[in-house]
Amino acid sequence: MAAVSAAKCQEVREITRIERIGAHSHIRGLGLDDSLEPRHVSQGMVGQLMARRAAGVVLEMIKDGKIAGRAILLAGQPGTGKTAIAMGMAQALGMDTPFTSMAGSEIYSLEMSKTEALTQAIRKSIGVRIKEETEIIEGEVVEIQVDRPATGVGAKVGKLTLKTTEMETIYDLGNKMIDSLMKEKVQAGDVITIDKATGKINRLGRSFTRARDYDATGSQTRFVQCPEGELQKRKEVVHTVTLHEIDVINSRTHGFLALFSGDTGEIKSEVRDQINAKVAEWREEGKAEIVPGVLFIDEVHMLDIECFSFLNRALENEMAPVVIMATNRGITRIRGTNYKSPHGIPIDLLDRMIIVPTSPYQEKELKEILKIRCEEEDCEMADDALTVLTRIALETSLRYAIQLITTASLVSRRRKSMEVNIDDVKRVYSLFLDENRSTQFLKEYQDDFMFNEIQEPMEIS
Amino acid sequence: MKFNEQKALEHIQQVEEKANEILTDRQEVIALDKRRNNDRVGMRALQKENCGKIWITIGSLLVKMPSKTAEELLVQDQRECDIEINKLRSNLKVKVNELRDLELNQPVPGLMLQPMSYQELSAIKQILGQNS
Repeated sequence: MAAVSAAKCQEVREITRIERIGAHSHIRGLGLDDSLEPRHVSQGMVGQLMARRAAGVVLEMIKDGKIAGRAILLAGQPGTGKTAIAMGMAQALGMDTPFTSMAGSEIYSLEMSKTEALTQAIRKSIGVRIKEETEIIEGEVVEIQVDRPATGVGAKVGKLTLKTTEMETIYDLGNKMIDSLMKEKVQAGDVITIDKATGKINRLGRSFTRARDYDATGSQTRFVQCPEGELQKRKEVVHTVTLHEIDVINSRTHGFLALFSGDTGEIKSEVRDQINAKVAEWREEGKAEIVPGVLFIDEVHMLDIECFSFLNRALENEMAPVVIMATNRGITRIRGTNYKSPHGIPIDLLDRMIIVPTSPYQEKELKEILKIRCEEEDCEMADDALTVLTRIALETSLRYAIQLITTASLVSRRRKSMEVNIDDVKRVYSLFLDENRSTQFLKEYQDDFMFNEIQEPMEIS
Repeated sequence: MKFNEQKALEHIQQVEEKANEILTDRQEVIALDKRRNNDRVGMRALQKENCGKIWITIGSLLVKMPSKTAEELLVQDQRECDIEINKLRSNLKVKVNELRDLELNQPVPGLMLQPMSYQELSAIKQILGQNS
């Protein structure tokens, strides 16, 4: 029996995944308390109190569904935690609210027009909440009894006794039911569900009380509690799917396989119109709720004027998500025009946005961040080394200092030490140039490089 | 301070009352389902036996009656159970949300939605990655 159940390994086996450590992997949320006051160091976030508080307020509004169709701009110098705040917001929103993250330059692709890419991103950020309701019979099999006719042919009859912690009852079985019970290899001690509408039988596992029945059990044998309550239950499951997912399924040429290959190509606008109409119909009937999610566009200054005007229009749609943008530019040219504008964003779009500024980190905050990153990368660092690293972060940039953590820990491991000390940090500091020193170096040895004539800055159209 | 204590007590009482109601309702659903299943078992037994009159217990009474009438009684009882259970279940949802409101929690998302039809669901299930 164990061999039989081993052969049927439907369960997804857990694979220990080795995840690479991303630049913002230490962020678990915004680090706010119940009254939205930012804690100084919490959930991987450090400092940036004003911006975090602002983000927290925005988050509450998103949760209440109040600011759909508006945009938020995170503006600040490079390395001041804009992406970190957006990540924190995504984490704090939870699983139910769709969150899409993209970089501004992602929309430039040969296979897809810019507006298509933006539309897809927008529709990925709008969830539709629906409910699945099934009547099921759920219980532990006490006894299953099948009478076969002596001739071997003809109808079988049988009895199935099911129980929960509260009750027990006997079902008479027909031929079809017996067959599907056989097919699922249901036996006494199994916990099963029977779908009332389709008659589909699902084996959830074996009851804990029957755990001692056999000495040898396959690793796939799952033990579950005997179900509680009534036998005939109504099971309600709420799903959230995004509009884009529905689009993809209904985009006929691709079929649903396109969803998994990632490359979905362009979706016809008729398909989208149909879906919109269907979803609107579901909403009228009370079958669906719209969950406006969040679209995060990093490096938003990379979008050009066409995209901005498209966004401007898209935000007015009744089913628009909350768009969060981040930029590190000051007053600069709007891409695709010769006009200058703050943050490289047209004034009319800027007017619709809530702008949240981020400011450069202080020395103490830098130290905290570096400490958190050290923990995240499993790297023990001596106190004085951390102080030196903080100085480096202050004088060069936070990103450079964070990169030094990994390299310094490698160097320390070479000399079989568990802890990174000052010398390791100094060593990697001399090995790897930061941006300033690199520039310096280039200026000094300019003549030795190839193509060294400095060209007049050309106007890029 | 006195006032606050009074208020807190009231609040706890409200929460406990609501929670108690929910638990009682759940127990009632179980009792009704038990009765429904017993009716079903009884009906099946009646169908197998085909004599004109049978003995049946109604409450604590043992009565002899024609099997036709007995079956009708059972069918009617089952229908009533069904209706009652459905009523309890819909009320339960409202009560759970009321309790969550008292406990200052958000209402359960999507609880009040109408369920999708079977066909619509099978399409949606493609998205969720389960084929059935």
